[in-house]
Amino acid sequence: MNEEIRALQAAMEREGYVAEPSIATAVYLAKEMRKPLLVEGDAGVGKTELAKVISRVLETELIRLQCYEGLDANTSLYEWNYQRQLLRLRIAEREVHDPKALEELIFAREYLLERPLLRAITRSAGAPVLLIDEIDRADDGFEAFLLEVLSDFQVTVPELGTIRATHAPYVVLTSNRTREIGDALRRRCLYLYIEHPGLDKEVRILRGRVPGLDEQFARAIARFVQQLRQRELRKLPGVAESIDWAQALSRLRLDRLDGETVRVTLGCLLKDEQDLRETDEQVVAELVARAAAD
Amino acid sequence: MNGVTGHLARFAEAMRQHGIRVGLSDEIDAATALPLVDVLDRAEVRSGLRIAFKVPHEAWTIFDRLFDEQWGGATEVPVPPAANPRERRGALQWRWDGTRVRLEAQLVQPTDGEVPGYSPEQLLRRKPFDRISEAELKAIERLLARLARRLATRRSRRLVPTSGRGLVDLRRSFRRAVGSQGDFLRLARRARLVEEPRLVMLFDTSGSMDPYTRFHLAFAFALRRAVRRVEIFAFNTSLTRVSRDIAPAQILRSLDVLASSVPDWSGGTRIGQCLAEFVSTYPELLARDTTVAIVSDGLDLGGNPSLLTAAMRALHERVRTVVWLNPLLGDARYEPTAAGMRAALPYVDCFAPGHDLESLERLTRMVN
Repeated sequence: MNEEIRALQAAMEREGYVAEPSIATAVYLAKEMRKPLLVEGDAGVGKTELAKVISRVLETELIRLQCYEGLDANTSLYEWNYQRQLLRLRIAEREVHDPKALEELIFAREYLLERPLLRAITRSAGAPVLLIDEIDRADDGFEAFLLEVLSDFQVTVPELGTIRATHAPYVVLTSNRTREIGDALRRRCLYLYIEHPGLDKEVRILRGRVPGLDEQFARAIARFVQQLRQRELRKLPGVAESIDWAQALSRLRLDRLDGETVRVTLGCLLKDEQDLRETDEQVVAELVARAAAD
Repeated sequence: MNGVTGHLARFAEAMRQHGIRVGLSDEIDAATALPLVDVLDRAEVRSGLRIAFKVPHEAWTIFDRLFDEQWGGATEVPVPPAANPRERRGALQWRWDGTRVRLEAQLVQPTDGEVPGYSPEQLLRRKPFDRISEAELKAIERLLARLARRLATRRSRRLVPTSGRGLVDLRRSFRRAVGSQGDFLRLARRARLVEEPRLVMLFDTSGSMDPYTRFHLAFAFALRRAVRRVEIFAFNTSLTRVSRDIAPAQILRSLDVLASSVPDWSGGTRIGQCLAEFVSTYPELLARDTTVAIVSDGLDLGGNPSLLTAAMRALHERVRTVVWLNPLLGDARYEPTAAGMRAALPYVDCFAPGHDLESLERLTRMVN
């Protein structure tokens, strides 16, 4: 293994993120090739968390843009602070009579509200990590706009002119695949698919995130969740869910799984009414028995 | 370096031949990434190339196999597909449990007599098309037309400038105010855009679909009257673009015209071939905001399932949603076992019955 990748993996682990070599490799390549990293995978496998960890490892700021349907260039780039502009205009009218001076006064940088994309570009203290979360929720138009921003990291504000990035940010895009990402954007990125973790990795994650969880119990919890994922469910529990569950169980001061507690705490893992109904007493008892074995 | 580049190019070519879409820019990325990883570590080279070539998760099995072939010394056994819970789950989504096909939340169980109250219209909505009398036809067509109009009025979440009512658009209001010395004489407003969905419907007009064809086409024509961006195709042993030469106002006459102009009307089907032809001949119809609805029972006469799979995959990659309406699904005893149906299912986003009006209504909800 490349020494730098190994070092990166260790650094991520120190920050509480158990990364497989493939994840560390992707982060390393994205960093070296200065390309955005597109991360896909089921909900709760740690896509957003990955961006947070990268920012901690690189010791830089994390700037997050949450996407949603209808998100447009205005809300993601900049907005003028109209209220302040208006007040300033009213005050200035009594003293300044030159319209040009008036205009320059109110369209100054101090009245510009920076939204995530612009903030990521203008940050002067080193390159930040720009997390564009759930890009699949934004519409195609926004994707095209993003493509433009990500290719040259410069933005034009009509009243101010073109603003160029001082440091090109490290970009992480995440997608839950509710819709396919366009080819053009995909091509521009490096691509990482995060799978649900294997048993050993999940045990390590649980022990890392839930203080005081002993090895034996963590293993039983992980095994239970792993078996649950093999079932036909509408929403598979991700690592985020299994951490929640382990925390709940340790808060209840338990040190082993039993059918009754599992059933009342199952809401931590399964977030769909029908999934909950179908995972009945009998199923739980069976899973608990298998999780406790060997 | 030349050796490595050549090797990469051959590898990319092999991937392309197996249907993984890899472009030149991906090859460049791979060539840039390769010196950055430890070339003696096979696992690292493998994941590095997977990342740089942007191989989607579904294609990992093929990728791993090609990787082992091309980069020699298969010391690691690639993960067999059966051990992958995601893929296994994908296959299971289509299981038939006796009363319904299980598929996400979209597919609602056929509700027989569950709605309280009685109205002739209600009854008509549930009456299978193959049992409708000539007299009921007119009423059905009226319902269809109403359904189609509803489809044309989807409101997007995107806000666009409007001269009517809506939310105040401060940015534009302010710009106007600057022109009148800071006075807001008139506020600019924004409202949600009315979006016209794009819909392509492909109808199977083979013999086995005969009882339904008339209603499906009536529905499609009604849609076309309300929404401009609807394209209609008929297929059996060959593909015909119907929307070109049909006057939607006269459904019955149109159907007769169709029967004479579409070759092999009520004959057999070659679904795979027709879909492949559709994908290659009309790429301009396959956009990211398009819904493609295929109406067929999936009974392919002497067809080639791999051709159908390839065509369905191409469709699935390029459009927003692929809907498959199968009239046979209205029958509780039906199982999607026909070879054609099985080959197509993995690429269908929504598999639903299409035997009565209610099921068509559900389609309009999916398009929105």
